[in-house]
Amino acid sequence: MSSLLRVKSIKKDNILNDVSFEVMSGEMIAVMGPSGSGKSTLLYNVSGMDQADGGEVWLGDTEIVQLSEDGKAKLRLNRMGFVFQQMNMISNLNILDNIVFPAVRADKRHRAEYYERARKLLDDFHIADIAERRIKEVSGGQLQRACICRSMIMNPEIIFADEPTGALNRTSAAEVMDAFRKINSEGATIMMVTHDSWIASKCERIIYLLDGQIRGELRLGKSTPEIDKAREQKLVHWLEGFGW
Amino acid sequence: MNRKIVINDFKGNKLITVSTCIFMAVTAMLLGLSIFLFSSLAVSIDTLMNIAETPHFLQMHTGELDEEELENFIASRNDVEKSQISRFLNLQNSCLSIGDKSFEANMQDNGLCCQGECFDYLVDGNNNVIHAETGEVYVPVAYKNEYEIEQGDTMRIGTEELTVAGFLRDSQMNSMMASSKRFLVSDEDYERLKYLGSEEYLIEFRLKEGSDVNAFATDYKDAGLPENGPTITYPLIRIMNALSDGVMILIILLVSIVVLFISVLCIRYIILTQLEKDRREIGMLKAVGISRKDIQSLYISKYLILSMIGCLVGIGLALVLAGQLGLGIKEMYGEAENKVLIYIFMVLGALLAEAIILLFIRRILRSTEKESAVSALTGKGGSHKKSNLWRPALIISAAAVFMILVPMGMKNTMSAPEFVTYMGIGNSHVRIDVRQNDDIGNTTLNLTNRIKDDDRVESFSVMRTRSYKVYLQDGKTYNLMLENGDHGVFPVNYQEGKYPEREDEIALSGLNAEEMNVRVGDKVTVLKEVDGGKTETYSCTVCGIYSDITNGGKTAKGCLDDSDDKTPPMWSIIYVSLKDEAISGKWVEEYQNDFTSGSDGVKVIEISDYLHGIYGQTIRNIQDASVLTMALSGIIIMVVIVLLMRLIIWKERKDSSLKKALGLSSSEIRTDYLKKLVLYVFSGVVIGELLGELLGQRIAGGLLSLMGASGFKFVIDPLESFGLVPLLIMITAVMAAVLSLTEIKRIRASECLNSGLE
Repeated sequence: MSSLLRVKSIKKDNILNDVSFEVMSGEMIAVMGPSGSGKSTLLYNVSGMDQADGGEVWLGDTEIVQLSEDGKAKLRLNRMGFVFQQMNMISNLNILDNIVFPAVRADKRHRAEYYERARKLLDDFHIADIAERRIKEVSGGQLQRACICRSMIMNPEIIFADEPTGALNRTSAAEVMDAFRKINSEGATIMMVTHDSWIASKCERIIYLLDGQIRGELRLGKSTPEIDKAREQKLVHWLEGFGW
Repeated sequence: MNRKIVINDFKGNKLITVSTCIFMAVTAMLLGLSIFLFSSLAVSIDTLMNIAETPHFLQMHTGELDEEELENFIASRNDVEKSQISRFLNLQNSCLSIGDKSFEANMQDNGLCCQGECFDYLVDGNNNVIHAETGEVYVPVAYKNEYEIEQGDTMRIGTEELTVAGFLRDSQMNSMMASSKRFLVSDEDYERLKYLGSEEYLIEFRLKEGSDVNAFATDYKDAGLPENGPTITYPLIRIMNALSDGVMILIILLVSIVVLFISVLCIRYIILTQLEKDRREIGMLKAVGISRKDIQSLYISKYLILSMIGCLVGIGLALVLAGQLGLGIKEMYGEAENKVLIYIFMVLGALLAEAIILLFIRRILRSTEKESAVSALTGKGGSHKKSNLWRPALIISAAAVFMILVPMGMKNTMSAPEFVTYMGIGNSHVRIDVRQNDDIGNTTLNLTNRIKDDDRVESFSVMRTRSYKVYLQDGKTYNLMLENGDHGVFPVNYQEGKYPEREDEIALSGLNAEEMNVRVGDKVTVLKEVDGGKTETYSCTVCGIYSDITNGGKTAKGCLDDSDDKTPPMWSIIYVSLKDEAISGKWVEEYQNDFTSGSDGVKVIEISDYLHGIYGQTIRNIQDASVLTMALSGIIIMVVIVLLMRLIIWKERKDSSLKKALGLSSSEIRTDYLKKLVLYVFSGVVIGELLGELLGQRIAGGLLSLMGASGFKFVIDPLESFGLVPLLIMITAVMAAVLSLTEIKRIRASECLNSGLE
């Protein structure tokens, strides 16, 4: 596996202090830590949503920190995907239109292809029946899976997910994690922030952040449904070492 | 994609969409309408003045006329294109009637004339030069509706009869503000009817292009040519023509600016509220990399569509109203040339309104650029501007009150008895004019003696006007029409200083003071010709400057002893105040019977009729504009408050839900809202009243100064201004709020417990 995202000594206010790590292509990585540890700030800064005070962030051969606001926006649109805790979608569009919205904005010429791709994604995530519905007419789990479809529509190099199951019940959260595992198994790279050990145990590698610094790293390997229980126990045990 | 967003947004926010569209339409309509009317009026007047070949310089003259002297003057100049001497046969209004309507109460100087020889043509409804046949008379179009005259009616002058063959447009005297009206007859009839009145001359000049009219006027005076009467120039005629309809148009323009302001304000709050609601959506769009331009275009395209609809509706409404409001202009001044251009102007006006609104919307949307995706997503910090939704209630109430008060104040001011004092006329009950009379001095004396012995009269004063030569300190000379008499009995309104009390004091009209470049305190020398070819000089101090509209606005007032003056007065005026105003109608009738028979040039009229004659049409126009403004303000308040309350209720839905959860009833929550609204609207009304008093007086003052009345004070009807208007606004606002507050009942106590998705 080659290195896709390289973070070198990134700093932000007093929240992040000299954070360095790498994400391999096709990897699914979770960032954990207590509240206020800087997890979300790290995600915002490495994805270019926020401007880091120092350090370097490389996505492939593009350095993100030095890019202009517009340059970062273009990069996020074309090479990254995002899933947030709050399932923000444009209220005046139906689910299908919301999924293709960023893609059509980026490239109007292939509109029909994007719609076709969106329908396939919806089908893959077992929510094809909600395509024409308004966002208020679907469940939280369905909506978050639709958000994952949206993040996948441009076939991004990496997907950033910030507490993607934070607002969901366990059943919906399981549906969402199945979706993530599915796209990861198909080659998508995912970096996820979570405080839920059960969610993190589905990831290949876990980074533990405390007071803006990486305090530890745990490799669990690719997850499969059969060994989930053991992975979670291992992770919890590891976390207890940090006073979790 | 944008289309889908916009359509769904329209469906989901019908009230807000319709209200926004109404604002845009009304703004476009008003701005388009005022520009349409303004350009129609200006172009129609120009068209008429071009076709009629209005004189550039006109000297009215009563008395003998030395034509040779005039010809020599014309021969000596190279700026005169053509000249003519027109005759005007002054008729006694008491002898005049058309159909069954008498002109007895008419205050205009009505008379007969022939068609202009080589210019100053009187034209018909199609702007064609009229050729009157024997036995025919053409009546000024201004009288058509006032006296309900129809073609074929009989006009009687004493025992003589003429048939009304049609109506004429008189480029010079069309406006009711011009004090004379010309009736056109054939040359034969004019000669035949000459015995019915006294003749006056209109010495008229058309100047070559690029000539200076003012310089010509000065040279004419200096040459000592006939000048026993007012002087009128082309620009003055143009202004007089424009004013009576122009004031109404200016009020519509003023209202359209206020409505534009209200529209921008309302739309601003609608957008800010929308942006607050969509904050996370915008944050998400930014996060996924949608450019700022694309995010703005989502909103802009919605308002672009709304403004296009608003613009079209506005233009449609403007066309309907323009047809109605433009009828008067069309009748008085005819069809404008370049009609297409005027319609283009109207469309441009409507587009301008929309462009201004869209520009403001763009500015508001720029605020979305400042906030980072992270702060929008997390809802923390950032520079996102929170809107105070109650403030528009205050501002719009203030604007609505202001919008009502200006035309209302103008109407009240112009209808008030003291308004005459801004026109250079004393505030008395009756005015008696002695003009076009062979023996003005004796007629005035007879009248004075009769009034002196009349025990119904409380006070009176006699004014005699003569033309005097005046030297300024810098050696320049002017001819002044100086009115001598006791100016303290019925003082006019002085912009500066006071009325003259002594022989060495003189007051000047604003226009004269400006032209002579003198101020209060400056000295001028007045030259008086006495018997035996001698002259006497009076060194006078300018003691006051007053506003005046009579005699072309160029007059002066003094207290010279003119008993030994060689030249007879050009005219004299007697102002009379009666002990009991209620009998003034009867008093006037009695004096009319005794003094206005035959051709003795005496006109007795009540001041209220005099004022009505000049400003009646303008006051009616302003009254119409005033009613329109009041209705419009009511509608605006209604729409804005309904909209605002809906937004506030939506925004504070969770708070209201919490209040319910804590045990407050729907009616208690509604009362809280109502109290708050009443407080804001009331504060707005107070601010509006203050603005109306301060700024409104200035605006109305500016408009009225166009008509010659400057330095005036707003006349306020306390019942209307402090009673009716605030009540109208408050009641409308409360009604609108009550309508919207029914929504409170639908808020559930449990809503505050739910979080997450909206």
